[in-house]
Amino acid sequence: MATQNPPAKRIKREEYRRNVQAQQESTDGSVIKMPQKKFFRQRAHANPFSDHRLEYPISPAHMDWSSHYPAFVDPDASKTNLSGGCKLTKEVEVVDIGCGFGGLMVGLAPLMPDTLMVGMEIRISVLEYLSSRIHALRSQQQRLKNRAANPSSTEPQDASAQPESTDSTPAPVPANDDEIGTEKLFPGNFENITAIRSNTMKFLPNFFGHHQLSKIFICFPDPHFKARKHKARIISESLNSEYAFVLRPGGLLYTITDVEEYHHWVLRHFLHGEQPEGGATPAASSKDLFERVSEEELAADPCVRVMKYETEESKKVTRNKGNKYVAVFRRKADPEWPA
Amino acid sequence: MAGLQHPFHCLRYVNRQSAGQSDILIATAGRNLYSYNASSGQRLDVWPQPVDADAEDKSSDAAPADASESHGPPEKRRKLSSTSDEQKDAKPESKTKDSKKEASNSWTNIPLVTVAHGKYVVIMTSEDKCVRVLSLDNEGKLQQLSARTMPKKLSALTLTPDENNILSGDKFGDVYTFPLIPSGEYVKAQTPAKPYEPAATNLTVHTKRNLESLEQQMRQAALSKTNPAERVALNFEHQVIIGHVSLLTDLISVTRPADSTVGKRNYILTADRDEHIRVSRGVPQAHVIEQFCFGHTSFVSSLCVPSFQPKVLISGGGDNYLLVWDWLENQILQKVQLPGAEGETTVRGIWDVSLAPTADNADPVKAIFVALEGSSQLLYYTLESNNTITHQDTLQLSGNVLALTGIDSRGSILVAVDTLRESNSTSAWKSSSQPPLETFGLSSGRLAPVEDSMVIRINSEGTSSIPTPLEQKQQKELNDSMYNLGNLRKRDDPYDD
Repeated sequence: MATQNPPAKRIKREEYRRNVQAQQESTDGSVIKMPQKKFFRQRAHANPFSDHRLEYPISPAHMDWSSHYPAFVDPDASKTNLSGGCKLTKEVEVVDIGCGFGGLMVGLAPLMPDTLMVGMEIRISVLEYLSSRIHALRSQQQRLKNRAANPSSTEPQDASAQPESTDSTPAPVPANDDEIGTEKLFPGNFENITAIRSNTMKFLPNFFGHHQLSKIFICFPDPHFKARKHKARIISESLNSEYAFVLRPGGLLYTITDVEEYHHWVLRHFLHGEQPEGGATPAASSKDLFERVSEEELAADPCVRVMKYETEESKKVTRNKGNKYVAVFRRKADPEWPA
Repeated sequence: MAGLQHPFHCLRYVNRQSAGQSDILIATAGRNLYSYNASSGQRLDVWPQPVDADAEDKSSDAAPADASESHGPPEKRRKLSSTSDEQKDAKPESKTKDSKKEASNSWTNIPLVTVAHGKYVVIMTSEDKCVRVLSLDNEGKLQQLSARTMPKKLSALTLTPDENNILSGDKFGDVYTFPLIPSGEYVKAQTPAKPYEPAATNLTVHTKRNLESLEQQMRQAALSKTNPAERVALNFEHQVIIGHVSLLTDLISVTRPADSTVGKRNYILTADRDEHIRVSRGVPQAHVIEQFCFGHTSFVSSLCVPSFQPKVLISGGGDNYLLVWDWLENQILQKVQLPGAEGETTVRGIWDVSLAPTADNADPVKAIFVALEGSSQLLYYTLESNNTITHQDTLQLSGNVLALTGIDSRGSILVAVDTLRESNSTSAWKSSSQPPLETFGLSSGRLAPVEDSMVIRINSEGTSSIPTPLEQKQQKELNDSMYNLGNLRKRDDPYDD
């Protein structure tokens, strides 16, 4: 079954991806089609310990976000970051670690149209898909808006779509993935989301400063089933210290997994276990920096709904009738210095 | 002193005059730890003692076979085989002290040394990854008190400010803390023996192949229920306090004295291969990260916070520059160009020495010394009042600079040079050894070689010999154990997924 020459599948895939690239770069106003996932599949694991060939800023102050959020670039061109790029009018404050094909990003974008969000993914092909997808979504929204603003257009238009009030016309209900990519206007035009290739286990602090983030999402992380591989898990007490560094007090860290054992791992690494009566107080650790968010609060949080039902992985779990385990933690304030 | 001898890998000057005792110099060479009287240079002890109690270092050819094995560079053994342990137990050396009986070839070098309270020496022996605490008595005798095997080889070893706990950083990026003197018997936290159960279920894996392997795991689990695999855990009291997902390269513990707004505060600074310098709070709040110092574009290998100015950090690594920081603010105060091209220069060590006043200047000189990997030059800077450093001189030594320690009371520095390899080479060997120590002192504002009876005596006695001729492979192992910073550089690897 293995062929000597590059398999036809790969040739087709490369050709497809070249076309997508060319389409994105063209500015002739042709309709940009949504990329198809099947041409961007990549094995679900990447070694977080190897160097890859990652690009990352020397420090958060060197990060040039302007190409990622063109709609949020500060009009004052004299304001530049340390690498000379244009500054934004606001800071990125939501991160999806291991964003995959970007279901969460796309689902959250209309929910928080004024909040800048970034998905971080270590796998090249998957990231390429998401970047194309965001690009296609933005241009589609633009086209829909133009059409609405131009009644002379030959195409019939949706009467409800008013040109000046894009924020109020679309249903406030969060986007359902099935509708995304259809002829519907969404608040924010997906200008507030982007995707970056990175290994957050090593380089998260290169992108975000102290207390910069309000939300971190870790959805369906690689479970690394073998005990030997547990060091590669994205949740650990030492990594939680880094999440605490970039997360502002009061900020939330969302986790969801379909692996029950991993869920317990998450709880174990964020919370002190039950202490035996009269036992020694637990040793100080990054667990002191987080507290679990109650179920009632989660029920009212639309982000949890998106995380549970809109991401690609969550849909797969639903299809396979698997379980979903959600745990959300709030960043507490740093402890007082010892006297 | 004929033939080839091991150079000194680490040097520590132990100031004990406040305790009413004479000062001691601690040094490691090859697989041995030495203690010297700091005024006369008399060798006070060697640890571990030669297996043959009578055999002297020089008479390696006359010594029996097993003794010469202990002098030479033994085969690299990563694991202590159980058989060699049994052999050791089977024929105990009756004359030597119990603590000094050690499997003779479980390590070949001692790359990390620190001293606590002036009376404990903490070392890491390399191949067996073992942290050993030895007592250093009034006469400078060394006796092993404890040996604790770490999960990974350490790259840094230091102490908490109270000197009661050891801090260690390893190649896996983890920082451990454990008591200098283990308190009593360590009782492992009782974890009920849980039968192995695959974490995956048919709810989480779906492909045919994954389901097959899950089935296999289930069968395995059913079989092994009676005999659960024992978890590998450290058998001593310890705590993991900091973790980098990178190779940890250096670790220092800093106390910032109280100022007008805040009290005295302890910090831990860690550096890694991925260009990071991290500032965490001291124990017990090491999980709170206070700052990252960004500015290096290659790995960081050395951190130095001068004792005379704890607000300043001087860092170096694979870049051909040093950075001088206000480390609590992530503020670069100065970028100091180093000799050599980008991608070639590697900082081996940065040391701060407060050189005692001489006749013509009243204040001690705040000296900073920088050694580059595989270089026989020693760069000499002074820290100015505006917290920048000024290059004063470049000292030329007779061999590559390996280690340095200041002798504050004499206003001089002691430098260990490579006795084996040609100057400015990490691989070309000399035909005969040269003295392993050089010393410099201030004279009329400049650092110049000085005569020191201690150094003369240590040099005349030398260290342990290396049997010649040496096979290429053994030479390479010795080179790699002495010069390994180059491996930290990232290669432009075309492979990528």
